[in-house]
Order: sequence, then C-alpha cells, then structure tokens
Amino acid sequence: MRKIAFEVPPFLQDLTNGVKVTGVSGNTVGECLDYFVKQFPSTKKLLFDKDGKLFGHIDIFVNGVSTFPEELAQPVNDGDTISMLYLIDGG
Amino acid sequence: MTGIKRKGLKINLSNRETKEEPITEQVAADFIGGSGFGIYYLYRELNPNTDPLGEHNKLLFVTGPLAGTNAQAVSRWMVCTRSPLTGAFARSVCGADFGAWMRFSGYDFIMIEGKADKPVYIHLSNNTCQVGDASESWGKDTSETQDWLIQRYGRNTRVACIGPAGEKLVRYSSIASAQRTASRCGTGTVMGSKNLKAIAISAQRNVQLHDPVAFKELVKEQIKLMQASKAYHHHTEVGTTTTHDITNQLGIYPVRNFRYGQQNGYEKLSGEEYRKFRTGNFSCYSCSSRCGKIHQVSSGPYAGLQSYGPEYETIWAFSGPMDNTTIEATIAADKLCDDFGMDAISTGNAIGFAYELYEKGILTKQDTDGLELTYGNHSAMIELIKKIAIREGIGNILAEGVMRAGAIIGKGAESYAIHVKGLEPPAYEPRGAKCLGFNYATSNIGASHSYGYAPQEVFGSPIPRQVDRFAEEENADIVIFNQNNRATREVGICCSFSALWGWIPQLFDKMLIAATGIDQIADSGYLQIVGERIVNLERSFNVRNGFRREHDTFPQRILKEPLHTRGAPGEGQMIRALDKFLDRYYKMRGWTPEGIPSSQKLNELGLSFVLKDMPVQ
Repeated sequence: MRKIAFEVPPFLQDLTNGVKVTGVSGNTVGECLDYFVKQFPSTKKLLFDKDGKLFGHIDIFVNGVSTFPEELAQPVNDGDTISMLYLIDGG
Repeated sequence: MTGIKRKGLKINLSNRETKEEPITEQVAADFIGGSGFGIYYLYRELNPNTDPLGEHNKLLFVTGPLAGTNAQAVSRWMVCTRSPLTGAFARSVCGADFGAWMRFSGYDFIMIEGKADKPVYIHLSNNTCQVGDASESWGKDTSETQDWLIQRYGRNTRVACIGPAGEKLVRYSSIASAQRTASRCGTGTVMGSKNLKAIAISAQRNVQLHDPVAFKELVKEQIKLMQASKAYHHHTEVGTTTTHDITNQLGIYPVRNFRYGQQNGYEKLSGEEYRKFRTGNFSCYSCSSRCGKIHQVSSGPYAGLQSYGPEYETIWAFSGPMDNTTIEATIAADKLCDDFGMDAISTGNAIGFAYELYEKGILTKQDTDGLELTYGNHSAMIELIKKIAIREGIGNILAEGVMRAGAIIGKGAESYAIHVKGLEPPAYEPRGAKCLGFNYATSNIGASHSYGYAPQEVFGSPIPRQVDRFAEEENADIVIFNQNNRATREVGICCSFSALWGWIPQLFDKMLIAATGIDQIADSGYLQIVGERIVNLERSFNVRNGFRREHDTFPQRILKEPLHTRGAPGEGQMIRALDKFLDRYYKMRGWTPEGIPSSQKLNELGLSFVLKDMPVQ
C-alpha cells in the first residue's frame, strides 16, 4: 500500500475537524478515498451517491492533474498528493 | 499594436442620428473589449449624476473580440449603463447568439442615446441602421417580440428585446435574446425608459481576425482541452441544476429572506429531481456544452408550461426566499420572468421580502389583494410575479426593488430589505461564504455573484490559494483577485462556466492576440492589469456619482443576526469585522480610507483622465 497525502478540500474541512492534509494509503485513487472515508465517515455522503458512485460534480486530481476519466481506478505512487474540486457554478 | 480595425455605433433615438466611432489602437490595447469597452465608453460619455431613467442616460451593448468566431464559449455580450436600481455602474452579461451577431454586423459596441417619442425598434443590416415603429409589439412578451422581428427580417436575424416589465419600468427588468437574458441591475428598465422595444441584427457570418491560421489551431487545442475536462462533461450533463444540492449541504443556500442557510426538504429540488422534468438542452453560440436545460411540467396547476431553465440562481430565487419546494412552481416562475423580461434574482428577493413582511404583520391580506403570503405558498408567488410585471397592487411597490419598497411601505420594513447598494443578492449566503459576501459589499454593481465569484470557497479551487470561507479581512486579497479576474475574462467575453473547462490559463491570452493583434497581451501580467484598470474605472464612475465607503456594506440582518444553518456548517456565523476588511481591501487596492482610487493608483493604471473627477485627496 502506498503512502499518499490527501489535501482535504475546504468543503470537507468542516467534517474533518479542520484537518487540511491527512495521510492515506492505497494503490488507486479509489482505495485512498476509501481510507479517507474510514477516517472521517461523515464525508462519505458528500463524495459518493447512494449507489456508492463518485458524484459527477467532484473532480479528483493527483499531483495537480485531473484523474478524469480514470478517476477512482487511477493508480497512485508513493509520495503522490490527491486533491479535489467541486465542479459547480451559479447561473 | 492592434492588427484589425474595430468600431462602435452610436444611435441617438431623440433625433434618429447614427454615427460610427472608430476604436483607437490605444483604447483597444488598454481595454481590449467587453467589460473594458463597457466602462471606458460609459465613463467617457455619461455626465455625473445622470438620471438613470432620463433621456441622457446611455445604454451600451458590448461584445468581445472573440465573439462570432468558432472558439467555444466566448460569444457573450453585455449591457452597461447607470443602473436605475442602484445608481451605480451596471454590467449585465448574457449568452445566446446576439454577441456573435453584433460582431457580424461589424460593431464591438452599440451605444443607445436619447429617447424615442414613441415605441421603436432598431434594425441593423448591411451597414444600414433603421429605426422602426414598435407600437405593434408594445405589450408583447419577449418570445413574441423576437418572433415578430425574425418573421419580418428573416432567419438570419437575432434580437435583443424587453418584455412588458421593461415597458412598465419595473426597476429590475431584463433584456432577453433567444433563451438567455441580461438580467441584473435593471438594464431592461433603461431600455424601456428610452421607448426602445428591441434591437434586431440581420447578418451573415463575417468576422475579421488578425491571424486566422493561428486562431484556428488555438480553437482545435481549446476543444481538445475541454473534452478532456470533467467539468465540461458535467456541465453538459446537468447544467447548474446540482449546485443547489451542494450549497444546501454547505449551509449557504439563503432561505426565508436570508435567515437560514439550508432549506428543509431541499432534496425535493435536487438535480436528480429536475432531471425528471427535462425535455431537452440548449446552448449559446459556438458552445458544444449545451448546459441550458429545458424543463416541462406535465401535470398539476402548471401543466403544459415549458421553460428554458431554471438554472441554479432561478431555482433558488423561487424556492429559498418563499420556502417553496415545489419544482413545478420554480419552472413556472422561470418561464414567467423570461416572458415578462424580469431579473429572476431580484424578483425572487422582492417576493421573499414581501413574505417576511406578511409574517411580521407589516403587510396584511388587505395589502396583497387577498393573497396569503405564507411560506411554501407557491401559487401566491406566481401571482406576485404577474402583479410585479404589470405593476398591479402590491406588485407596483415591489417593482421598485426591495430598497425602495422598504422605504415606501415603512413600518420598519426597511430593516428586512436585503440588498447592497440597491441590488438584491444572489443564491449564496454571505455569512457562510465570506469571500463572496465581501465581494457583494465591494462590488461596483451591488450584490452580484457575477462580479467576483469565489471559486476558492465554493469549489475548493487552490488558485491563487485555498481559503477559509469564514475568514474575513484575511481574504481581502482573494476578493480583489476574483473581481479583477472576472473583469479580465469578460474582456473576452468568456462564459464563467468555461473557466472550469481547462482551457483559459493556457489559451485565453493567445486567442485574444490572434484575434486582435494586440501583442502587448503576451506580456506577463498584462491582462491582469487590464482587469484591475477596469475595476478601478468602474469604481471611479461610482465615486463620481457619490459612492463612498459607507455604501460598501451589508444589510442589517447580515451584520447583526447570526446565520442559522439547520445542522450544516457555519451555524452562528456573522460578519464580524467589516471595517477591518474594508481598511485592508482599500489599502491593497491602492484606494484611500474613503474608498476612492488614489491618484497614484489611477496614474499607475493609465487612468489619469479620471483625476479631475475625483474628490480632492
């Protein structure tokens, strides 16, 4: 299992007691997110729909590069950093 | 140096004279187009303290140098004027095709002056400008008006027009074109005050580019980047109908006239629920995203109504303020606002204001012609929209906007009027998203998300840095960054959604250079300075009209009452340190403690022509 840094986005920091960066483990982005959700279970409903699918309005980045379209299946390496954005806007 | 010749057209409705105005190379280089030309020409042409609804106010339709090309999501247009709601500068942006048609007609801007003595329309075609009699169309809604002119002038015609609300001078009337509207700040009201029902442009595609070969390659690259972007696919799939889900979870969805940050039962209005009513998609000129979503009601009191929307702001405007969770009513309200030609955000706020006054006993059934303005009563909301549009009964007062309506009603109603500088706020709670909040307070057009949207606190964008959304003066730099950045993009004029599609940082400046030949754009930081120049000139416009520090503020509720979020984050948040924020914001902007751009800053930005209009410092 690889050691990865997860930058908690501002919209989840209320649910991580203000933690902004946390260590996660996994071989893929999906495994790392599972690890994160186990640490902070209340974040799950903001990341995944009722069928467990990543919400369409969330874009995940590894080292600043979007993982779309592989997303959860994308492999990660030791020392990588995962971050995410909400893809919403008013109009 | 600029490579192509650009020009504007002035049309005086009082004497029917028209005059072309070449855009000098210096003005093109300093202001580029769009938001830049909007404030430059308005500042130059308008005298201080011009009556917004008098014949001396001017109405400027502006597009950008990328409009009408095959580049994606850059054919927007905007209307600039002195706002009848705020008395401040107005910048209201719109999509659809009209911006492209302006370019095809050969003009970067069309400036309307004077006032017609009877209802008229303007028709531009083949370098001719005709002012026609619009008496036949007076009273028609925005769809009927566009159909009327397209039938008359053919399918290669695009129309920007007002509806009945603009004719009645409802202070927040919009200008409609196809299925989109330039809604904010009452630009349609100014159009109505000039007895101008519509502008129609008949034209064939015809855009001159400085370097068409380079431009073509850039567009190919743009499309490649967009298609690799999740945000592009997300907007294509759902438009903005899921934003509501997020803002409720974040506790920043304003409910009951900005008392709560989350709506009970908000799940009934989720993106998935709207999908059940969807019958199609629509797009703006040269945009493959098709983020516009068409919704149709098939049963119940609104059966048969179809609307090109609602988008996030309209979903909120007809749910949050009056605590309505009936989707069908939001679709009906959206359709009515589009047809009457009214800004949905201001309309929803005005109705939410009336609902609270009714709750407090300041308005009674006698005042509302028997309507019961109880929370959740969507049929009363629909009736109020109609009353506002035709200025009937209480609608005649609400048509003035909440600031003036509060003063007219009295009995303490003023303290429930939620606005900044007279402009009603959009669908983000300023106490829970404080970068947006302080943007409302300091924006040159009043409370608008379109002026300095804060993607850092809503999306989590790390550019230029991540923020704590409850921080205040610490984020003054972010508010400035967002305001300048939006002004920069709107020289283009870029769709704000496309900012997430991965092409702007790499390609926007290159596209502008290829389109215009203004090679200074290649200089590092040049466009950012243009954005700062625009914001400072807008601010100077407002200073010249009497705006000062005391106008950069919030409604009493936002300053004195804690936010209630119903379990979402941010419970109890208030704006704690407005003065500290303003001190820091003004200092970082290079403005005086009174909020006046300093002579040093104006000189630095090449705005020395403004100095004579500023108060002695």
